Amino acid sequence: MSAESTPRREVVTGEPRRVRPLPRYRAQSEIDEQTALGGAYVRSLMRSQLRAGLTVFAVLATVAGTLPLLFEALGSDALVWGVLGFATCPPLTLAAWWYVRRAERNERDFARLVEGLPSP
Amino acid sequence: MSAPGHPASVVAVALVVLATVLVGGFGLRISRTTSDFYVASRTVRPRLNAAAISGEYLSAASFLGIAGLVLVHGPDMLWYPVGYTAGYLVLLVFVAAPLRRSGAYTLPDFAEGRLESRQVRRLVSVFVVGAGWVYLVPQLQGAGLTLKILTGAPGWLGDVLVASVVVIAVAAGGMRSITFVQVFQYWLKLTALLVPAIFLVLAWQGDGRPRVTFDEQISVFRADHPLYATYGLIIATFLGTMGLPHVVVRFYTSPNGRDARRTTVAVLALVGLFYLLPPVYGALGRLYAPDFMHGGDADAAVLLLPARVIGGLGGDLLGALLAGGAFAAFLSTASGLTMAVAGVITQDVLPSRGVRHFRLATVLAIAVPLAGSLLVSRVPVADAVGMAFAVSASSFCPLLVLGIWWRRLTPPGAIAGLLLGGGSALLSVAITVSGAVRPPGWPHALLAWPAVWSVPVGFLAMILVSLATPGRIPPGTNAAMTRFHLPEALAAGRVR
Amino acid sequence: MTGAGIAVIALLALLLFGTGFLLGRTARPVRTSDVGTPVEHATFETLHTASLAAPPLRSGLTEESARRSARRLRSLLGTDALCLTDRDRVLVWDGEGDHHGKDVMEQVEGLLASGRDTAFHSDCGDLDCTLRWAVAVPLTVDHRVLGTLVAYAPRESAVLARAAGEVARWVCVQLELAELDRSRTQIVEAEIKALRAQISPHFIFNSLAAIASFVRTDPERARELLLEFADFTRYSFRRHGEFTTLADELHSIDQYLALVRARFGARLSVTLQVAPEVLPVSLPFLCLQPLVENAVKHGLEGAVTLPRPDGPVRAVDAPIRVTISALDAGAEAEVVIEDDGTGMDPERLRRILRGEGGASAGIGLLNVDERLRQVYGDDYGLVIETGVGAGMKITLRLPKYRAGVHGS
Repeated sequence: MSAESTPRREVVTGEPRRVRPLPRYRAQSEIDEQTALGGAYVRSLMRSQLRAGLTVFAVLATVAGTLPLLFEALGSDALVWGVLGFATCPPLTLAAWWYVRRAERNERDFARLVEGLPSP
Repeated sequence: MSAPGHPASVVAVALVVLATVLVGGFGLRISRTTSDFYVASRTVRPRLNAAAISGEYLSAASFLGIAGLVLVHGPDMLWYPVGYTAGYLVLLVFVAAPLRRSGAYTLPDFAEGRLESRQVRRLVSVFVVGAGWVYLVPQLQGAGLTLKILTGAPGWLGDVLVASVVVIAVAAGGMRSITFVQVFQYWLKLTALLVPAIFLVLAWQGDGRPRVTFDEQISVFRADHPLYATYGLIIATFLGTMGLPHVVVRFYTSPNGRDARRTTVAVLALVGLFYLLPPVYGALGRLYAPDFMHGGDADAAVLLLPARVIGGLGGDLLGALLAGGAFAAFLSTASGLTMAVAGVITQDVLPSRGVRHFRLATVLAIAVPLAGSLLVSRVPVADAVGMAFAVSASSFCPLLVLGIWWRRLTPPGAIAGLLLGGGSALLSVAITVSGAVRPPGWPHALLAWPAVWSVPVGFLAMILVSLATPGRIPPGTNAAMTRFHLPEALAAGRVR
Repeated sequence: MTGAGIAVIALLALLLFGTGFLLGRTARPVRTSDVGTPVEHATFETLHTASLAAPPLRSGLTEESARRSARRLRSLLGTDALCLTDRDRVLVWDGEGDHHGKDVMEQVEGLLASGRDTAFHSDCGDLDCTLRWAVAVPLTVDHRVLGTLVAYAPRESAVLARAAGEVARWVCVQLELAELDRSRTQIVEAEIKALRAQISPHFIFNSLAAIASFVRTDPERARELLLEFADFTRYSFRRHGEFTTLADELHSIDQYLALVRARFGARLSVTLQVAPEVLPVSLPFLCLQPLVENAVKHGLEGAVTLPRPDGPVRAVDAPIRVTISALDAGAEAEVVIEDDGTGMDPERLRRILRGEGGASAGIGLLNVDERLRQVYGDDYGLVIETGVGAGMKITLRLPKYRAGVHGS
């Protein structure tokens, strides 16, 4: 059909139903997400993930917390320039990579743990 | 001040601006017309998404500001890029995967979903808008400065230009968070900084490798308690990255929590790669443009270095490349932020929804920081951005970290933490920028680098008030925690 | 003497215990009638009348149900006249003095607005008419006033006022149940219809026939199609979760289209434009499929019914063009499904969206529109541009985040 002969379109919408959107499906999702696995299992997963995260963060905080003092004590601008300018990216990326491996392993272990259970 | 730049620079800036408007106007979309699209790429892959996040994240502060600060104040300023990078490590270990699994598109979404409170949602919205505005001001000022250097145009023109381009592009319906455009922005910025850097280093070698010294006494005042300022900077940038509105929005694009984590690692690597370059400019600037150390506009040093060091047509062309890259930095970050802020304004501030409201919100989102950029005194770009990080670190960081890992967080606790931590940081920043408290002395240091005390205040307030209101723990807390931490594969497989 | 004393005390104690025992027993009903006391009988009668009035009311407040329940309700109240109204008119007048009926709506006007019980004097000037006073109580469901119950009496009566209130509350419960019944059947119907619309036996038959036709000529393609078919049906019949993600929904649509294409080959030209950023968006399950099916159907109709007197002529082999796009729009995703088929009369479409389109037509559209409004609110209904012979363009907006909406 050619463009000229195309009949006109009209915009149609449904009438407002004055429905309030369902606030949330909390009750349902809570049942769904709680009874199926049990809070204890999720808590154990959280603990293992938090431990991995805190490990990385603790190392980072220690290094970042002491470096300024160290720089202050040594007073060598070239060292500061070298360390901060070029030597930070690799260790940061390595730490991130280690964490991701660790976190994914935690999740795999957790999946094995849960799937080994009799079905809830 | 040096002479206006070569016309090539103006052409480069014009090209970047034009491309941005066109992309916005025509709404360039990455799509396939055949259905094998799904087979080929169901979703945005982590690496692509990471480049997009980096593209939006690397702002004028990174492109111009860091080199300028290093030039003037020495290598201590390199804590900025370190912080900008390390922020992603903190984001990774505490926030990335759970935030994605929460399904939240913005921080207010997260707050509402976790704490089931409209009140907290509204308060978080206020802070998102506040932090966004604080972040936008230096972007606009940087643009004004760049244009002034290049063309000799009055300083306000660049501010207005970038603001209008962003409004036109965003309001025309484009500049949506289109992954490929931002990926392109990242590589453009990297190239624009890398190619001139290579030539500059070659020229430096040809020059007989003169030694760079940072020993010369710094004449421009920055902080009378440098160690305290350094710690303030470290805390703000390490903890503030996770709350930046335009960063959070991009995590939604990851298909699942696992990919969100991998995306973050890639961002870390890409951002880290980029940050190898500004120190080079800073050091060479020391050597070849020492006059900037005493002038006010050190942020512009990057733009003028090629002309100084190499000169001739080559220098001009490299300068033009840098100018184009700088404008790409202003535009991408400014439009990303404007989008995020405008989204929050439409959803939580303006009464009804619709396209027209979004346009109004866009204007509102950029008009306020524009006025700010024209009115307030110029703070070095990187320092101003650092303030936005401080606000984010003292409000969103406690909210996210405690919201994700601590079951006993309550809405009153969250409100107290946001108001005391984030509110005091925001107030400090406002006082500093207004110039009401002047250095030297501790009051100025405390207000200019508030993160050292405002982050603990935010965490403490949130924890203590939450513990005092145990009855207000949201009923859906356990369900939310489960959703945040359970791997998707398990969540889906469980119900099958 | 002591022996006699002990005997007396023992006797007294025995007497005391005996009386206590008897008194204790009399604390319970002295006489439990095996055939019921008058009070029990009255209760039975009331319960029976109520149970008789219940079934009609379970179908909602209509003229029919009001007529069938009014007499029972009046006997529950023991009054001379009773009237049931909806918001606009008198549904039934039971008892004497129905000339009062014309004034009722005027008198309950305030009640309909406020939802509060009222009483009024109803002198009609007729000396023989004993209906001098009335009490009116609202019939509410979910805080909405659906109608009123008006009970008449010769004089003011607190007892009647109380009784009318109780009866009205009982009626409301019935009406609420009716509403519940209706929405429950609606949900079930919608679900079944949605699924049937998706996987009609027709579609299954045609798909399998198309697959079979490839078995000899192109076994590899047949195998692929069979896998698509299996995937598609698995998704459509899945039982868990109200929500899904745009990625999954579009994937299922893609499989559906592959099966349709197996039948119509090159005639069906589908353009998919999907911004990868919106693939994680959550949305109600099976919200897009009915719309795409609709578009394909319209395209085919446009190609088959030729030439129409009122529309443009269309060749049998003319390609059917369907465009599906999902774009990123800030905090929302915008999904557009467009075809160049027969389109639809806008008036007819309006009727369908009001739920007056009849059983067969456009159930998919109505169902999707209703579910979107239900989940996201009235701002998020379907926006459809169409005309007879003008094709159809359906636009949906999906918020990227809404509390409680999590696709799995």
